[in-house]
Amino acid sequence: MNWTGAARTVVVCAILIVLQYTLRPLLAWRASIDFLIVALLLGAVRMRPGWAAVYGFLLGLVSDSLMVNGFGAAALAMSLVGFSASWLKAVFFADNLALNGFFLFLAKWVFDLIFLLVGHRAHGVELIMQILVWSPLSAAVTAVAGVIALSLLKPLMEVRTA
Amino acid sequence: MATAAGLGSRLDAGLLAGCVVLSIVAIALPSQAREPISSSLRRTIVAPLVGMQRSAEQWRTAWVSNEIRQAQADSLAMRAVKAQALIAENDQLRKIIGLGSRLQWGFVPAEALHSTAPSEEVVTTLTLSAGSSAGITRYSPVVAPEGLVGIIQSADPSMSIAILYTNPDFRASTMSADGTAFGIVYPHSSGGSGEDAYMLELRGVPTRATLKPGEMVYTSGLGGTFPRGIAIGTIVSQIKTPEVWTKTYLVRPAVTPSRLTTVLVLTAQRVTQGTGNIWGAMSNTDSATRHIVAAGDSITRMAAQLQARARAAALDSVRQATIDSLTRAGAIAPGGQAAPVVRDSSLLRPRVPAQTAPRAAVPRPDTAVVRRDTIRPDTTRTPRTLRP
Repeated sequence: MNWTGAARTVVVCAILIVLQYTLRPLLAWRASIDFLIVALLLGAVRMRPGWAAVYGFLLGLVSDSLMVNGFGAAALAMSLVGFSASWLKAVFFADNLALNGFFLFLAKWVFDLIFLLVGHRAHGVELIMQILVWSPLSAAVTAVAGVIALSLLKPLMEVRTA
Repeated sequence: MATAAGLGSRLDAGLLAGCVVLSIVAIALPSQAREPISSSLRRTIVAPLVGMQRSAEQWRTAWVSNEIRQAQADSLAMRAVKAQALIAENDQLRKIIGLGSRLQWGFVPAEALHSTAPSEEVVTTLTLSAGSSAGITRYSPVVAPEGLVGIIQSADPSMSIAILYTNPDFRASTMSADGTAFGIVYPHSSGGSGEDAYMLELRGVPTRATLKPGEMVYTSGLGGTFPRGIAIGTIVSQIKTPEVWTKTYLVRPAVTPSRLTTVLVLTAQRVTQGTGNIWGAMSNTDSATRHIVAAGDSITRMAAQLQARARAAALDSVRQATIDSLTRAGAIAPGGQAAPVVRDSSLLRPRVPAQTAPRAAVPRPDTAVVRRDTIRPDTTRTPRTLRP
C-alpha cells in the first residue's frame, strides 16, 4: 500500500470512528451499528495480521476507555477480529458486496461474543438473549451499514483485488 | 524469501500475542488500577471523541424531549376537543333531565343514533335505543328540550326508527303562540348548508292571519298525532307563493337534528292527555331570562352614566366655587377678566386691608341661574307643546 492509499484509508477510518461517536448516539437503536468494526475491517485488510492486531487493540482501548466496566475486553476482541480479518483479507476484499457483508456480520458477531463472554457484561438468560438475538441483529445492521459505507467510499478508497 | 515470510509470520504472531496478553492484563487489573488508565485516555486521546459523543447525546435528548412535548401538546389539544364535546353533551343531558322533570310521566328516554348515510347532507332519520318493549309505538312523537324532533316510523322490541321533520314524509299541524293562526308544517328544501339546511315551511295559514318574524309556532294538537303545545320553531319570513287565500311562512326549527344525542319519546297515553304548556313556558322563561339580563345591562349602563354626570357636576361645582372665591378676593374682575398678576415684590409692600362688601350683598354667580348639571334628567318635564 502506497502513502496515498494509506492516507485515504486513515481518512476513511477516521470518518467511521467519528460516525461511531456522533451518529450512533443520535440514532440510539437497540441493535446499533458498530462503525468501529467497519473501520477495523477496512484498515485491517490493508495491513499485515500483526499490525492489524495492534490496530484492533488500539481501537479496542479507545472503546474500552468510554465504558464503565469490562476494560480490556473490547481490546482483546478487536485484536483477534483484526488479526483474523487481515489473515482472511483475500476472501474479504473480493469484489462481492454480499461476501463483504457476510464477513462484516461475522466479525461483529464474533466481536460481541468475545466481548460479552470476557467482559462479563451479561449473565444467564440475558447473555443468551444478547448473543442469539441482539448481537445478530446488531451484526446485520452493521453489515448493511458497512456495505453501504464501502459502496459510498469506493471512489475514495484504493481499489484492491485479491 | 521463505526466511522473510517466516520472520513476518513470527512477527505477526508475536504482535498478536502481545496484544492478547496486554488485553488480558487490562481485564485482570483491579478496578483501582484500571480507572487511572481509562481516565487518562479519556482526558487525552479520546477527549475529542468524548466531546462529540456528549454533543450527540445532547442533541438526542433535545430531540426526544421535543417529541415528548409535542405529544403532550397533542394530547392536551385532544382533551380540549373532548372537553368541548362533553360540555355540549352535558348541557343537552341537563336539558333532557329538565324536560323529563317537567313532563313527569308518559315518556321514554332514548339515545339517538344518527343513521343517515354519510353521503346525505341532511339528517332525516334517527335510530333510537328504545323500542316497543319500553312502550314506544308507531307514530309516537319524538321530542327534545328545544321542541319537536320527529315521529316514530317503526318500533322493534329493543330499538326504533324515527323520521325527523326534515324527512319529506313529515307533516305536523301547527298553530301560532296565541292560537289565532293554523297551518301545516312541511320540510323546506332550501339546499342550504349548516343551520340553513334544516328549515320548515308553514303552509295554509289564512290570509287574514299575520305572523311576525321571530314568533314561535307550536303543534296544534289537531289530528291527534302530536299533543298541543310542542315547540316547532320560529317564523323567519313569508314565502311568496301563487296561492291567494293562504300564506306560507319559512320557519326556523327549534331543534337541530345533527346535535341530538338523547331524545324523549312520548307515549300514546301522554299524547292523549296532552303535555300542557311546557315548551311555551320554557320559551317564556328563556325570553324572561334574556330580558332580565338585558335590563341588568341597561341598569348598569345608566348607573355608570349617572355616576359620570355626578362626577362632572362635582368638578363643575368646585370650579365655580374657586372662581367665586377668586372673584371675591379681587383676583378676577367681575366681567370674568383676570386681574393683573401680583408679583412677589408686592409682598414687600405693606398690606392694605381690603375693603370687602358684606357677603350677602354680592350675588353668587352660580346661584343666579339654575345650573343645568344639577337638574336630574329624569325629573325634567317635557313641555306640553312637544308632547305628541
